[in-house]
Amino acid sequence: MRSSSAPIWFVAPAVILMCLLLLIPIVIAAGLSFTNYSLGSQSFEWIGFSNYFTLLEFSSYKKMFSASLTYVIVVVPVSVALGLGSAMMITSLKIGGEIYKTIFFLPVMATLLAMAIAWEFALNPLNGVINNTLRSGCDIGWLHSILTGTWYGADPANSWFGNGCINDFPLWLRERKYALSTIAFIGIWQVFGFNMVLYLAGITGIPRELYHAAAVDGAASAWERFRLVTWPMLGPTHVFVITITSIRSFQVFDTVEALTQGGPAKSTYMLVYAMYEKGVRHNQLGIGAAITMVFLIFVLSLTLIQVYFVNRRVHYS
Amino acid sequence: MTVNSSWFGEFIKHVVLLVGALVVILPFYLMISYSLKSPVEIATNTGGLFGAQEMMTDPRCLKAGKPEADCTMRPIVYNYTAAFTEAPLLRYLFNGVVVTASIFFIQVLIALPCAYALSKLKFWGRDVVFGLVLFCLLIPVHAIALPLYVMLAKLGLTNTYAALVIPWTISVFGIFLMRQFFMTVPDDLIDAARVDGMSEFAIVWRVMLPTAIPALLAFAIFSVVAHWNDYFWPRMVITGDLNLMTPPLGLRMFKSDLDGNEYGPMMAAATVVVAPLVVAFLLAQRRFIEGITMSGMK
Repeated sequence: MRSSSAPIWFVAPAVILMCLLLLIPIVIAAGLSFTNYSLGSQSFEWIGFSNYFTLLEFSSYKKMFSASLTYVIVVVPVSVALGLGSAMMITSLKIGGEIYKTIFFLPVMATLLAMAIAWEFALNPLNGVINNTLRSGCDIGWLHSILTGTWYGADPANSWFGNGCINDFPLWLRERKYALSTIAFIGIWQVFGFNMVLYLAGITGIPRELYHAAAVDGAASAWERFRLVTWPMLGPTHVFVITITSIRSFQVFDTVEALTQGGPAKSTYMLVYAMYEKGVRHNQLGIGAAITMVFLIFVLSLTLIQVYFVNRRVHYS
Repeated sequence: MTVNSSWFGEFIKHVVLLVGALVVILPFYLMISYSLKSPVEIATNTGGLFGAQEMMTDPRCLKAGKPEADCTMRPIVYNYTAAFTEAPLLRYLFNGVVVTASIFFIQVLIALPCAYALSKLKFWGRDVVFGLVLFCLLIPVHAIALPLYVMLAKLGLTNTYAALVIPWTISVFGIFLMRQFFMTVPDDLIDAARVDGMSEFAIVWRVMLPTAIPALLAFAIFSVVAHWNDYFWPRMVITGDLNLMTPPLGLRMFKSDLDGNEYGPMMAAATVVVAPLVVAFLLAQRRFIEGITMSGMK
């Protein structure tokens, strides 16, 4: 090979940009988190860990942690299960699988902000399609009696549906009790198609012979085949899907900013939104940077767990 | 398994998947249907998907002193014209195209030579550079957003196109992807080009680039989808200046100054913003799914 200066010129722009736009910002974020810096002020002070103590002490940040963790704990298992379930059903279909695959993948492609606004219309407590449908269910005698349990003599006011018929249905995004679940529902709606596609790829990669071998060894039922072959063979896919869904769930922002702005009563006040609100809107960059560092630690530890599992457990070939 | 029970299983699966599909489609249905209907039909939830398309009169148009004939139109026409006239939607779309295209071209311009050097050239420090790329792959974008915002604000660059593009000019994922792809390109091809007297620079753009088209296409889909739909970063660095807003940010503005009658036009705007990628996806599904999932690694 000729010695030339070409490699330097090829690599230098990328290396310079990596340092400038990826590494130095991390250092700056870490630095800022120990200050009370704000844009436009002439000076700032080093205030040690006090931003981090603030995060631990104030109730709005406690709510931030619990909302973020709850969101992740709800969205990850549900969207992974739905992704796996739909992938398994689709591969076992004789006809029509492709159509479901296309439909379930649509939310992954569509601009989340636009779809969040459409969901807001659907969830409108007064005339949204969801509450309208629920209300019209109240007038259908047999449906009402099944859903409220009046057919065996239960008090309709004791069931969720019966209570809704009497006192009206939830306000969804505007009610503290339901807002986080509603945001989580939109998150699941958006992400499960992505998981489905990853599982479809994983399922296609399982050698057919393994199912024959399992059948020979007496795995007769569909459940046995799933437990003995499909589930373990999807090991690497599980690790990947769970990690990426968790990381994405920590990053939830669009729906929170557009629909609830962290409310009501901070019930949907999650990490990235809090970082934006404190850092950009309130110009408290120290606190914003501290939230950034917490976020970074969460995401990096998830990545490290992934690396650990990839190296430890999931080699079958 | 009997024929009967397998038929029954298939039926059950279709029922379950169909219910799921209805839930998935619901917001798309509402978005399109609202974009077609009159304000009255939207408020009263009537009119099915298309609405009755009865002639309606735009009250604001009348207030502006125009004759009634000019202000009377079908709801679909009203919604879509209002979407483009009430807000600078065309400008948003133009900004979206400029920003996503610039980001993609600069990413390729930076990543391709680097990936070539990392895969096909031997030089001092190559492993260090590759290590750096791998390390940078771990950094989530939301973790560098705030410091980048501070840096751009200090340089007086917030509320510029530059602010929308600069942070994304480096794609370590692009470098990684291209490097993996170039590893599979035979060395003979490059040696032959050298024998023909091509410079290393010419090799990158005239030999490596054409071989990398499939990988580049997947990367393009990933990059364009991510940045067309991105709301977080434009929200951070564009404040108030409508002329710089990207489509999602523009939609959000639409929502903030909403006055009851404007649901139809807003959903028309949303349809216009969502449509290009969804249509492209429906036309080239396999490529899109490949591009987005392969790149799901980031």
